[in-house]
Amino acid sequence: MLSLWLGAYDQGLAYAGLALGTYLTLRVLNFPDLTVDGSFALGGGTAAMLISQGVSVPLALGLAILFGCLAGLVTGLIHTRLGVNDLFAGILTTTGLYSITLRLMGRSNIPLPETPRGILNLPDLSVGLDDQWALGLTLAVVGLILLISLLLATDFGLALRALGNNPTMARANGINQRRGLTLGIAAANGLVALAGGLVAIYQGFADVTMGIGSLILGLGMVIIGESVVRPRTLPMALLAVVVGAILFRTMIAIALQLGLEPVDLKLATALLLLIALAFGRLRIPGLSDPGSQQS
Amino acid sequence: MSLTVEGLSWGHPVPGLAWRQLFNALSISCPQGQFLVLIGSNGSGKSTLLNLVAGTLRPTGGQIHLGARPLHRLNDHQRARWIGRVMQNPLEGTCPGLSVAENLRLAERRHRPALSWRGLGGIHPNAADRRRYRDLLGDLGLPLADRLDEPVGQLSGGQRQTLSLVMATLGSPDLLLLDEHTAALDPRAEAIVMALTDRLIRQLGTTALMVTHSLEQALSHGDRLVMLHEGQVIGDWNSAERAALNPAALRELYSTSIVAPASST
Repeated sequence: MLSLWLGAYDQGLAYAGLALGTYLTLRVLNFPDLTVDGSFALGGGTAAMLISQGVSVPLALGLAILFGCLAGLVTGLIHTRLGVNDLFAGILTTTGLYSITLRLMGRSNIPLPETPRGILNLPDLSVGLDDQWALGLTLAVVGLILLISLLLATDFGLALRALGNNPTMARANGINQRRGLTLGIAAANGLVALAGGLVAIYQGFADVTMGIGSLILGLGMVIIGESVVRPRTLPMALLAVVVGAILFRTMIAIALQLGLEPVDLKLATALLLLIALAFGRLRIPGLSDPGSQQS
Repeated sequence: MSLTVEGLSWGHPVPGLAWRQLFNALSISCPQGQFLVLIGSNGSGKSTLLNLVAGTLRPTGGQIHLGARPLHRLNDHQRARWIGRVMQNPLEGTCPGLSVAENLRLAERRHRPALSWRGLGGIHPNAADRRRYRDLLGDLGLPLADRLDEPVGQLSGGQRQTLSLVMATLGSPDLLLLDEHTAALDPRAEAIVMALTDRLIRQLGTTALMVTHSLEQALSHGDRLVMLHEGQVIGDWNSAERAALNPAALRELYSTSIVAPASST
Protein backbone atom coordinates (compact mmCIF):
# COMPACT_ATOMS: atom_id res chain seq x y z
CA MET A 1 0.00 0.00 0.00
CA LEU A 2 2.83 2.40 0.86
CA SER A 3 4.54 1.70 -2.43
CA LEU A 4 1.28 2.41 -4.22
CA TRP A 5 1.06 5.80 -2.53
CA LEU A 6 4.68 6.64 -3.15
CA GLY A 7 4.42 5.54 -6.76
CA ALA A 8 1.37 7.72 -7.22
CA TYR A 9 3.16 10.60 -5.51
CA ASP A 10 6.15 10.29 -7.84
CA GLN A 11 3.94 10.04 -10.90
CA GLY A 12 1.71 12.86 -9.73
CA LEU A 13 4.71 15.15 -9.39
CA ALA A 14 5.88 14.16 -12.86
CA TYR A 15 2.44 15.13 -14.14
CA ALA A 16 2.40 18.40 -12.12
CA GLY A 17 3.52 20.43 -15.15
CA LEU A 18 0.52 19.14 -17.09
CA ALA A 19 -1.85 20.13 -14.29
CA LEU A 20 -0.23 23.57 -13.91
CA GLY A 21 -0.23 24.16 -17.66
CA THR A 22 -3.89 23.18 -17.92
CA TYR A 23 -4.70 25.47 -15.01
CA LEU A 24 -2.88 28.34 -16.69
CA THR A 25 -4.75 28.04 -19.97
CA LEU A 26 -8.19 26.97 -18.76
CA ARG A 27 -8.53 28.79 -15.48
CA VAL A 28 -6.28 31.83 -15.82
CA LEU A 29 -6.56 32.58 -19.54
CA ASN A 30 -9.96 30.94 -20.09
CA PHE A 31 -8.59 29.30 -23.22
CA PRO A 32 -9.36 25.62 -23.92
CA ASP A 33 -5.99 24.63 -25.33
CA LEU A 34 -5.85 21.32 -27.20
CA THR A 35 -2.17 21.84 -28.08
CA VAL A 36 -1.52 20.13 -24.75
CA ASP A 37 -2.05 16.70 -26.35
CA GLY A 38 0.67 17.44 -28.87
CA SER A 39 3.13 19.24 -26.62
CA PHE A 40 3.03 16.50 -23.96
CA ALA A 41 4.19 13.92 -26.52
CA LEU A 42 6.61 16.45 -28.00
CA GLY A 43 8.18 16.99 -24.57
CA GLY A 44 8.37 13.26 -23.89
CA GLY A 45 9.75 12.47 -27.32
CA THR A 46 12.34 15.25 -27.26
CA ALA A 47 13.60 14.34 -23.78
CA ALA A 48 13.76 10.60 -24.53
CA MET A 49 15.52 11.12 -27.84
CA LEU A 50 18.11 13.44 -26.31
CA ILE A 51 18.70 11.29 -23.21
CA SER A 52 19.11 8.18 -25.33
CA GLN A 53 21.73 10.10 -27.34
CA GLY A 54 23.65 10.79 -24.15
CA VAL A 55 22.56 14.39 -23.57
CA SER A 56 22.36 15.32 -19.89
CA VAL A 57 18.90 15.16 -18.30
CA PRO A 58 18.59 18.84 -17.30
CA LEU A 59 19.56 19.98 -20.80
CA ALA A 60 17.17 17.48 -22.39
CA LEU A 61 14.31 18.70 -20.18
CA GLY A 62 15.25 22.31 -20.89
CA LEU A 63 15.02 21.72 -24.61
CA ALA A 64 11.73 19.87 -24.14
CA ILE A 65 10.35 22.95 -22.34
CA LEU A 66 11.61 25.20 -25.13
CA PHE A 67 9.96 23.07 -27.82
CA GLY A 68 6.73 23.00 -25.83
CA CYS A 69 6.79 26.81 -25.63
CA LEU A 70 7.28 27.00 -29.39
CA ALA A 71 4.30 24.70 -29.94
CA GLY A 72 2.16 26.92 -27.70
CA LEU A 73 3.44 29.99 -29.51
CA VAL A 74 2.27 28.51 -32.82
CA THR A 75 -1.23 27.88 -31.44
CA GLY A 76 -1.33 31.37 -29.94
CA LEU A 77 -0.31 32.98 -33.21
CA ILE A 78 -2.76 30.88 -35.26
CA HIS A 79 -5.56 31.95 -32.91
CA THR A 80 -4.69 35.62 -32.37
CA ARG A 81 -3.14 36.58 -35.71
CA LEU A 82 -5.07 34.42 -38.15
CA GLY A 83 -8.33 34.53 -36.22
CA VAL A 84 -8.80 30.75 -36.11
CA ASN A 85 -11.20 29.48 -33.42
CA ASP A 86 -9.47 28.49 -30.15
CA LEU A 87 -10.22 24.75 -30.21
CA PHE A 88 -9.44 24.47 -33.90
CA ALA A 89 -6.12 26.30 -33.53
CA GLY A 90 -5.06 23.73 -30.93
CA ILE A 91 -6.17 20.78 -33.06
CA LEU A 92 -4.23 22.13 -36.05
CA THR A 93 -1.03 22.44 -34.02
CA THR A 94 -1.48 19.05 -32.40
CA THR A 95 -2.02 17.37 -35.76
CA GLY A 96 1.13 18.96 -37.12
CA LEU A 97 3.06 18.12 -33.97
CA TYR A 98 2.45 14.39 -34.42
CA SER A 99 4.64 14.40 -37.51
CA ILE A 100 7.20 16.70 -35.93
CA THR A 101 7.48 14.52 -32.82
CA LEU A 102 7.81 11.39 -34.95
CA ARG A 103 10.54 13.07 -37.03
CA LEU A 104 12.37 14.14 -33.88
CA MET A 105 12.17 10.68 -32.34
CA GLY A 106 13.01 8.87 -35.58
CA ARG A 107 10.71 6.01 -34.57
CA SER A 108 7.48 5.76 -32.69
CA ASN A 109 8.89 4.47 -29.40
CA ILE A 110 12.15 5.19 -27.56
CA PRO A 111 12.94 3.08 -24.48
CA LEU A 112 14.90 4.53 -21.59
CA PRO A 113 16.21 1.40 -19.90
CA GLU A 114 17.68 3.06 -16.82
CA THR A 115 15.53 3.80 -13.78
CA PRO A 116 14.74 7.42 -13.00
CA ARG A 117 17.29 7.29 -10.22
CA GLY A 118 19.91 6.02 -12.63
CA ILE A 119 19.06 8.66 -15.20
CA LEU A 120 18.99 11.52 -12.72
CA ASN A 121 22.22 10.14 -11.28
CA LEU A 122 21.22 10.75 -7.70
CA PRO A 123 23.10 8.90 -4.99
CA ASP A 124 21.17 5.90 -3.70
CA LEU A 125 20.65 6.58 -0.01
CA SER A 126 17.16 5.23 0.02
CA VAL A 127 15.52 2.09 1.25
CA GLY A 128 14.64 0.88 -2.20
CA LEU A 129 11.92 3.33 -3.08
CA ASP A 130 12.33 6.21 -5.51
CA ASP A 131 12.52 8.78 -2.75
CA GLN A 132 15.45 10.58 -4.32
CA TRP A 133 13.28 11.21 -7.31
CA ALA A 134 10.45 12.17 -5.00
CA LEU A 135 12.61 14.57 -3.01
CA GLY A 136 14.15 16.23 -6.07
CA LEU A 137 10.80 16.57 -7.79
CA THR A 138 9.07 17.87 -4.68
CA LEU A 139 11.61 20.67 -4.40
CA ALA A 140 11.38 21.41 -8.12
CA VAL A 141 7.58 21.51 -8.11
CA VAL A 142 7.42 23.69 -5.00
CA GLY A 143 9.91 26.03 -6.68
CA LEU A 144 7.75 26.05 -9.80
CA ILE A 145 4.63 26.89 -7.79
CA LEU A 146 6.42 29.76 -6.06
CA LEU A 147 7.76 31.08 -9.35
CA ILE A 148 4.37 30.99 -11.09
CA SER A 149 2.67 32.55 -8.05
CA LEU A 150 5.17 35.40 -8.09
CA LEU A 151 4.81 35.93 -11.82
CA LEU A 152 1.02 35.98 -11.58
CA ALA A 153 1.20 38.55 -8.77
CA THR A 154 3.08 41.11 -10.89
CA ASP A 155 1.43 43.59 -13.24
CA PHE A 156 2.24 41.16 -16.04
CA GLY A 157 0.37 38.35 -14.30
CA LEU A 158 -2.47 40.64 -13.32
CA ALA A 159 -2.88 41.54 -16.99
CA LEU A 160 -3.03 37.84 -17.94
CA ARG A 161 -5.65 37.16 -15.26
CA ALA A 162 -7.69 40.15 -16.42
CA LEU A 163 -7.61 38.82 -19.99
CA GLY A 164 -9.06 35.51 -18.87
CA ASN A 165 -11.59 37.18 -16.62
CA ASN A 166 -12.95 39.89 -18.92
CA PRO A 167 -11.17 40.48 -22.22
CA THR A 168 -13.30 43.54 -23.10
CA MET A 169 -12.34 45.23 -19.86
CA ALA A 170 -8.70 44.17 -20.24
CA ARG A 171 -8.43 45.75 -23.68
CA ALA A 172 -10.18 48.90 -22.44
CA ASN A 173 -7.41 49.08 -19.85
CA GLY A 174 -4.61 48.95 -22.36
CA ILE A 175 -3.83 45.23 -22.29
CA ASN A 176 -2.72 43.67 -25.57
CA GLN A 177 -4.94 40.61 -25.82
CA ARG A 178 -3.01 39.00 -28.68
CA ARG A 179 0.30 39.22 -26.90
CA GLY A 180 -1.13 38.09 -23.57
CA LEU A 181 -2.84 35.00 -24.98
CA THR A 182 0.15 34.01 -27.10
CA LEU A 183 2.66 34.32 -24.26
CA GLY A 184 0.35 32.59 -21.79
CA ILE A 185 -0.33 29.63 -24.07
CA ALA A 186 3.38 29.31 -24.86
CA ALA A 187 4.31 29.23 -21.17
CA ALA A 188 1.60 26.68 -20.39
CA ASN A 189 2.79 24.34 -23.14
CA GLY A 190 6.36 24.64 -21.88
CA LEU A 191 5.10 23.30 -18.53
CA VAL A 192 3.20 20.51 -20.29
CA ALA A 193 6.25 19.51 -22.31
CA LEU A 194 8.27 19.37 -19.08
CA ALA A 195 5.68 16.98 -17.70
CA GLY A 196 5.92 14.92 -20.89
CA GLY A 197 9.69 14.64 -20.43
CA LEU A 198 9.43 13.69 -16.77
CA VAL A 199 6.73 11.11 -17.44
CA ALA A 200 8.86 9.55 -20.19
CA ILE A 201 11.77 9.28 -17.74
CA TYR A 202 9.54 7.87 -15.02
CA GLN A 203 7.79 5.25 -17.12
CA GLY A 204 11.01 4.36 -18.93
CA PHE A 205 9.94 5.11 -22.48
CA ALA A 206 8.48 7.77 -24.75
CA ASP A 207 5.82 7.00 -27.31
CA VAL A 208 4.56 9.29 -30.03
CA THR A 209 0.98 8.60 -28.92
CA MET A 210 1.63 9.30 -25.23
CA GLY A 211 -0.07 12.70 -25.44
CA ILE A 212 -3.53 11.49 -26.39
CA GLY A 213 -6.07 12.63 -23.82
CA SER A 214 -3.61 14.89 -21.99
CA LEU A 215 -5.98 17.84 -21.87
CA ILE A 216 -8.67 15.69 -20.30
CA LEU A 217 -6.13 14.26 -17.88
CA GLY A 218 -4.93 17.75 -16.93
CA LEU A 219 -8.49 18.93 -16.56
CA GLY A 220 -9.27 15.99 -14.28
CA MET A 221 -6.30 16.88 -12.09
CA VAL A 222 -7.38 20.53 -11.89
CA ILE A 223 -10.94 19.60 -10.94
CA ILE A 224 -9.96 17.06 -8.32
CA GLY A 225 -7.43 19.43 -6.78
CA GLU A 226 -9.87 22.32 -6.67
CA SER A 227 -12.71 20.32 -5.21
CA VAL A 228 -10.52 18.78 -2.49
CA VAL A 229 -8.47 21.83 -1.48
CA ARG A 230 -11.02 24.59 -2.31
CA PRO A 231 -8.35 27.25 -2.73
CA ARG A 232 -9.00 30.93 -2.05
CA THR A 233 -5.66 32.35 -3.09
CA LEU A 234 -3.64 31.90 -6.22
CA PRO A 235 -0.65 30.09 -4.67
CA MET A 236 -3.10 27.73 -2.97
CA ALA A 237 -4.85 27.15 -6.30
CA LEU A 238 -1.54 26.17 -7.90
CA LEU A 239 -0.75 23.87 -4.99
CA ALA A 240 -4.26 22.44 -5.30
CA VAL A 241 -3.81 21.38 -8.91
CA VAL A 242 -0.54 19.62 -8.02
CA VAL A 243 -2.36 17.85 -5.19
CA GLY A 244 -5.00 17.04 -7.78
CA ALA A 245 -2.35 15.48 -10.01
CA ILE A 246 -1.14 13.26 -7.17
CA LEU A 247 -4.68 12.25 -6.15
CA PHE A 248 -5.56 11.52 -9.76
CA ARG A 249 -2.60 9.18 -10.14
CA THR A 250 -3.53 7.57 -6.83
CA MET A 251 -7.07 6.94 -8.01
CA ILE A 252 -5.72 5.36 -11.18
CA ALA A 253 -3.29 3.22 -9.21
CA ILE A 254 -6.13 2.04 -6.97
CA ALA A 255 -8.40 1.36 -9.94
CA LEU A 256 -5.66 -0.69 -11.59
CA GLN A 257 -5.12 -2.66 -8.39
CA LEU A 258 -8.84 -3.31 -8.18
CA GLY A 259 -8.65 -4.95 -11.59
CA LEU A 260 -9.23 -2.20 -14.13
CA GLU A 261 -7.54 -3.15 -17.39
CA PRO A 262 -4.94 -0.59 -18.51
CA VAL A 263 -6.65 -0.64 -21.91
CA ASP A 264 -9.81 0.81 -20.33
CA LEU A 265 -7.97 3.58 -18.51
CA LYS A 266 -8.71 6.37 -21.00
CA LEU A 267 -12.39 5.41 -21.18
CA ALA A 268 -12.63 5.46 -17.38
CA THR A 269 -10.91 8.87 -17.27
CA ALA A 270 -13.21 10.29 -19.93
CA LEU A 271 -16.33 8.99 -18.14
CA LEU A 272 -15.17 10.39 -14.81
CA LEU A 273 -14.61 13.77 -16.37
CA LEU A 274 -17.91 13.68 -18.20
CA ILE A 275 -19.67 13.18 -14.88
CA ALA A 276 -17.76 16.11 -13.39
CA LEU A 277 -18.52 18.35 -16.40
CA ALA A 278 -22.17 17.43 -16.56
CA PHE A 279 -23.11 17.39 -12.89
CA GLY A 280 -20.32 19.26 -11.10
CA ARG A 281 -19.99 22.96 -10.44
CA LEU A 282 -17.52 23.11 -13.27
CA ARG A 283 -17.88 25.86 -15.84
CA ILE A 284 -15.29 26.04 -18.54
CA PRO A 285 -15.97 28.07 -21.67
CA GLY A 286 -15.71 26.00 -24.81
CA LEU A 287 -15.90 22.76 -22.85
CA SER A 288 -19.18 23.08 -21.00
CA ASP A 289 -22.38 24.81 -21.95
CA PRO A 290 -22.19 28.48 -20.98
CA GLY A 291 -25.97 28.76 -20.70
CA SER A 292 -26.25 28.76 -16.96
CA GLN A 293 -23.26 30.82 -15.91
CA GLN A 294 -23.65 34.20 -14.28
CA SER A 295 -20.76 36.13 -15.75
CA MET B 1 -7.29 67.29 -24.95
CA SER B 2 -9.61 68.10 -27.82
CA LEU B 3 -11.40 65.38 -29.74
CA THR B 4 -11.87 65.91 -33.46
CA VAL B 5 -13.92 63.62 -35.66
CA GLU B 6 -13.63 64.45 -39.36
CA GLY B 7 -15.51 62.95 -42.30
CA LEU B 8 -16.30 59.79 -40.33
CA SER B 9 -17.97 56.99 -42.30
CA TRP B 10 -19.15 53.68 -41.01
CA GLY B 11 -21.73 51.15 -42.10
CA HIS B 12 -22.68 47.55 -41.48
CA PRO B 13 -24.42 44.75 -43.35
CA VAL B 14 -28.06 44.21 -42.44
CA PRO B 15 -30.07 41.05 -43.09
CA GLY B 16 -32.54 41.83 -45.85
CA LEU B 17 -30.77 45.01 -46.83
CA ALA B 18 -27.39 44.83 -48.45
CA TRP B 19 -25.76 47.53 -46.40
CA ARG B 20 -26.72 50.23 -43.97
CA GLN B 21 -24.54 53.30 -44.06
CA LEU B 22 -24.94 54.83 -40.60
CA PHE B 23 -22.36 57.61 -40.71
CA ASN B 24 -21.65 59.47 -43.91
CA ALA B 25 -18.85 62.00 -43.48
CA LEU B 26 -19.86 62.94 -39.94
CA SER B 27 -17.76 65.70 -38.41
CA ILE B 28 -17.94 66.80 -34.82
CA SER B 29 -15.38 68.26 -32.48
CA CYS B 30 -15.16 68.61 -28.76
CA PRO B 31 -12.69 71.18 -27.37
CA GLN B 32 -10.39 70.46 -24.42
CA GLY B 33 -12.26 70.15 -21.16
CA GLN B 34 -15.75 70.08 -22.66
CA PHE B 35 -18.34 67.67 -21.27
CA LEU B 36 -20.42 66.77 -24.31
CA VAL B 37 -23.68 64.87 -23.92
CA LEU B 38 -24.91 62.84 -26.88
CA ILE B 39 -28.58 61.97 -27.01
CA GLY B 40 -30.58 60.06 -29.57
CA SER B 41 -32.96 57.19 -30.08
CA ASN B 42 -31.91 53.57 -30.50
CA GLY B 43 -30.11 53.24 -33.79
CA SER B 44 -29.24 56.94 -33.99
CA GLY B 45 -25.57 56.01 -33.84
CA LYS B 46 -24.65 57.51 -30.48
CA SER B 47 -23.14 54.34 -29.00
CA THR B 48 -21.61 53.45 -32.37
CA LEU B 49 -19.86 56.82 -32.41
CA LEU B 50 -18.45 56.08 -28.95
CA ASN B 51 -17.26 52.65 -30.08
CA LEU B 52 -15.60 54.17 -33.13
CA VAL B 53 -13.76 56.66 -30.92
CA ALA B 54 -12.77 53.92 -28.44
CA GLY B 55 -11.58 51.63 -31.23
CA THR B 56 -13.99 48.76 -30.62
CA LEU B 57 -15.27 49.45 -34.14
CA ARG B 58 -13.15 50.50 -37.12
CA PRO B 59 -14.31 53.41 -39.30
CA THR B 60 -14.51 52.79 -43.04
CA GLY B 61 -13.45 56.35 -43.69
CA GLY B 62 -12.49 59.58 -41.98
CA GLN B 63 -10.21 60.51 -39.13
CA ILE B 64 -10.44 60.69 -35.35
CA HIS B 65 -7.85 62.77 -33.51
CA LEU B 66 -7.30 63.21 -29.79
CA GLY B 67 -5.15 66.32 -29.68
CA ALA B 68 -2.62 65.58 -32.40
CA ARG B 69 -2.87 61.78 -32.02
CA PRO B 70 -4.52 59.93 -34.89
CA LEU B 71 -6.71 57.51 -32.91
CA HIS B 72 -8.10 55.84 -36.04
CA ARG B 73 -4.69 54.30 -36.71
CA LEU B 74 -4.46 52.63 -33.28
CA ASN B 75 -5.95 49.46 -31.76
CA ASP B 76 -8.38 49.79 -28.89
CA HIS B 77 -5.83 48.67 -26.29
CA GLN B 78 -3.39 51.28 -27.56
CA ARG B 79 -6.03 54.01 -27.40
CA ALA B 80 -6.81 52.99 -23.85
CA ARG B 81 -3.59 54.67 -22.69
CA TRP B 82 -5.33 58.02 -23.07
CA ILE B 83 -9.01 57.08 -22.93
CA GLY B 84 -10.99 56.15 -19.82
CA ARG B 85 -14.17 54.29 -20.57
CA VAL B 86 -17.26 53.29 -18.62
CA MET B 87 -19.44 50.70 -20.34
CA GLN B 88 -23.20 50.44 -20.19
CA ASN B 89 -23.23 47.00 -18.61
CA PRO B 90 -21.72 46.99 -15.09
CA LEU B 91 -20.51 43.44 -15.77
CA GLU B 92 -18.40 44.56 -18.72
CA GLY B 93 -16.31 47.32 -17.21
CA THR B 94 -14.71 45.38 -14.37
CA CYS B 95 -13.10 41.97 -13.80
CA PRO B 96 -15.48 40.03 -11.52
CA GLY B 97 -12.87 37.48 -10.48
CA LEU B 98 -10.30 40.06 -9.40
CA SER B 99 -10.41 42.14 -6.23
CA VAL B 100 -11.31 45.84 -6.06
CA ALA B 101 -7.65 46.72 -5.54
CA GLU B 102 -6.54 44.56 -8.47
CA ASN B 103 -9.09 46.19 -10.75
CA LEU B 104 -7.89 49.62 -9.67
CA ARG B 105 -4.29 48.58 -10.29
CA LEU B 106 -5.13 47.52 -13.85
CA ALA B 107 -6.73 50.89 -14.52
CA GLU B 108 -3.98 52.84 -12.81
CA ARG B 109 -1.22 51.57 -15.05
CA ARG B 110 -3.33 51.67 -18.18
CA HIS B 111 -0.94 54.06 -19.93
CA ARG B 112 2.04 51.69 -19.58
CA PRO B 113 2.00 48.29 -21.30
CA ALA B 114 1.79 45.58 -18.61
CA LEU B 115 2.77 42.69 -20.86
CA SER B 116 6.43 43.67 -21.08
CA TRP B 117 9.57 43.29 -18.97
CA ARG B 118 8.55 46.32 -16.98
CA GLY B 119 5.35 44.55 -16.03
CA LEU B 120 7.44 41.99 -14.14
CA GLY B 121 8.96 44.54 -11.76
CA GLY B 122 7.42 43.86 -8.38
CA ILE B 123 4.27 42.52 -6.80
CA HIS B 124 1.15 44.63 -7.26
CA PRO B 125 -1.15 45.78 -5.79
CA ASN B 126 1.17 46.15 -2.78
CA ALA B 127 0.62 47.88 0.58
CA ALA B 128 1.44 51.33 -0.81
CA ASP B 129 -0.99 50.82 -3.71
CA ARG B 130 -3.70 49.72 -1.29
CA ARG B 131 -3.17 52.78 0.90
CA ARG B 132 -3.42 55.02 -2.16
CA TYR B 133 -6.66 53.37 -3.28
CA ARG B 134 -8.16 53.53 0.22
CA ASP B 135 -7.40 57.25 0.36
CA LEU B 136 -8.74 57.84 -3.13
CA LEU B 137 -12.01 56.01 -2.48
CA GLY B 138 -12.27 57.53 0.99
CA ASP B 139 -11.85 61.05 -0.40
CA LEU B 140 -14.66 60.39 -2.83
CA GLY B 141 -16.78 59.24 0.10
CA LEU B 142 -17.17 55.72 -1.28
CA PRO B 143 -17.69 52.78 1.10
CA LEU B 144 -15.65 50.65 -1.31
CA ALA B 145 -12.58 51.94 0.53
CA ASP B 146 -13.09 49.19 3.11
CA ARG B 147 -13.66 46.42 0.58
CA LEU B 148 -10.43 46.55 -1.39
CA ASP B 149 -9.77 42.82 -1.16
CA GLU B 150 -13.25 41.64 -2.08
CA PRO B 151 -13.81 40.15 -5.53
CA VAL B 152 -15.66 42.67 -7.68
CA GLY B 153 -18.15 39.95 -8.60
CA GLN B 154 -19.61 40.29 -5.08
CA LEU B 155 -20.46 43.98 -5.50
CA SER B 156 -23.86 45.30 -6.56
CA GLY B 157 -24.40 46.75 -10.04
CA GLY B 158 -24.27 50.30 -8.70
CA GLN B 159 -21.06 49.65 -6.78
CA ARG B 160 -19.47 48.02 -9.81
CA GLN B 161 -20.41 50.99 -11.97
CA THR B 162 -19.04 53.39 -9.35
CA LEU B 163 -15.79 51.43 -9.33
CA SER B 164 -15.77 51.39 -13.13
CA LEU B 165 -16.12 55.18 -13.14
CA VAL B 166 -13.29 55.64 -10.64
CA MET B 167 -11.15 53.27 -12.73
CA ALA B 168 -11.89 55.16 -15.94
CA THR B 169 -10.72 58.42 -14.38
CA LEU B 170 -7.55 56.97 -12.78
CA GLY B 171 -4.30 58.18 -14.28
CA SER B 172 -5.90 61.38 -15.64
CA PRO B 173 -7.06 60.22 -19.08
CA ASP B 174 -7.21 62.80 -21.88
CA LEU B 175 -10.69 61.66 -22.81
CA LEU B 176 -13.51 60.06 -20.83
CA LEU B 177 -16.16 58.00 -22.63
CA LEU B 178 -19.42 57.22 -20.83
CA ASP B 179 -21.70 54.83 -22.68
CA GLU B 180 -25.17 55.04 -21.07
CA HIS B 181 -23.36 54.16 -17.90
CA THR B 182 -26.41 54.53 -15.66
CA ALA B 183 -28.90 52.75 -17.94
CA ALA B 184 -28.74 49.49 -15.98
CA LEU B 185 -29.01 51.10 -12.53
CA ASP B 186 -31.93 51.84 -10.23
CA PRO B 187 -32.77 55.56 -9.68
CA ARG B 188 -30.87 55.80 -6.40
CA ALA B 189 -27.70 54.28 -7.81
CA GLU B 190 -28.14 56.42 -10.91
CA ALA B 191 -28.18 59.60 -8.83
CA ILE B 192 -25.06 58.53 -6.94
CA VAL B 193 -23.17 57.63 -10.10
CA MET B 194 -24.19 60.82 -11.93
CA ALA B 195 -23.14 63.01 -8.98
CA LEU B 196 -19.78 61.23 -8.95
CA THR B 197 -19.51 61.64 -12.73
CA ASP B 198 -19.98 65.41 -12.51
CA ARG B 199 -17.56 65.67 -9.63
CA LEU B 200 -14.78 63.62 -11.25
CA ILE B 201 -15.06 65.42 -14.59
CA ARG B 202 -14.92 68.80 -12.89
CA GLN B 203 -12.00 67.70 -10.74
CA LEU B 204 -9.97 66.35 -13.66
CA GLY B 205 -10.97 68.95 -16.24
CA THR B 206 -10.95 66.16 -18.79
CA THR B 207 -12.75 66.16 -22.10
CA ALA B 208 -15.77 63.89 -21.75
CA LEU B 209 -18.29 62.32 -24.08
CA MET B 210 -21.45 60.90 -22.49
CA VAL B 211 -24.08 58.94 -24.35
CA THR B 212 -27.55 58.79 -22.83
CA HIS B 213 -31.13 58.17 -23.81
CA SER B 214 -32.46 60.00 -20.77
CA LEU B 215 -33.66 63.50 -21.61
CA GLU B 216 -33.55 64.41 -17.92
CA GLN B 217 -29.84 63.62 -17.78
CA ALA B 218 -29.21 65.43 -21.05
CA LEU B 219 -30.87 68.58 -19.71
CA SER B 220 -29.08 68.65 -16.38
CA HIS B 221 -25.53 67.44 -17.12
CA GLY B 222 -22.67 68.54 -19.33
CA ASP B 223 -21.57 71.71 -21.12
CA ARG B 224 -23.03 70.90 -24.51
CA LEU B 225 -25.88 68.79 -25.86
CA VAL B 226 -25.83 67.12 -29.26
CA MET B 227 -28.80 65.22 -30.62
CA LEU B 228 -28.17 62.48 -33.18
CA HIS B 229 -30.66 60.90 -35.53
CA GLU B 230 -29.83 58.26 -38.15
CA GLY B 231 -26.15 59.12 -37.93
CA GLN B 232 -26.66 62.85 -38.36
CA VAL B 233 -26.51 65.76 -35.94
CA ILE B 234 -29.99 67.25 -35.71
CA GLY B 235 -29.35 69.55 -32.77
CA ASP B 236 -26.32 71.13 -31.14
CA TRP B 237 -26.70 73.41 -28.12
CA ASN B 238 -24.19 74.87 -25.63
CA SER B 239 -25.26 75.10 -22.00
CA ALA B 240 -26.67 78.64 -22.36
CA GLU B 241 -28.69 77.64 -25.42
CA ARG B 242 -29.77 74.48 -23.70
CA ALA B 243 -31.01 76.45 -20.69
CA ALA B 244 -33.03 78.64 -23.03
CA LEU B 245 -34.55 75.63 -24.74
CA ASN B 246 -38.14 74.86 -24.10
CA PRO B 247 -37.98 71.34 -22.59
CA ALA B 248 -41.34 70.52 -24.14
CA ALA B 249 -40.07 71.45 -27.61
CA LEU B 250 -36.93 69.39 -27.06
CA ARG B 251 -39.01 66.50 -25.83
CA GLU B 252 -41.09 66.85 -28.96
CA LEU B 253 -38.02 66.79 -31.20
CA TYR B 254 -36.58 63.81 -29.32
CA SER B 255 -39.79 61.80 -29.42
CA THR B 256 -40.24 62.59 -33.13
CA SER B 257 -36.78 61.19 -33.71
CA ILE B 258 -37.77 58.10 -31.74
CA VAL B 259 -41.04 57.67 -33.58
CA ALA B 260 -39.52 58.36 -37.01
CA PRO B 261 -38.90 54.92 -38.45
CA ALA B 262 -35.25 54.03 -38.47
CA SER B 263 -34.45 51.97 -41.55
CA SER B 264 -33.35 49.18 -39.25
CA THR B 265 -32.19 48.72 -35.70
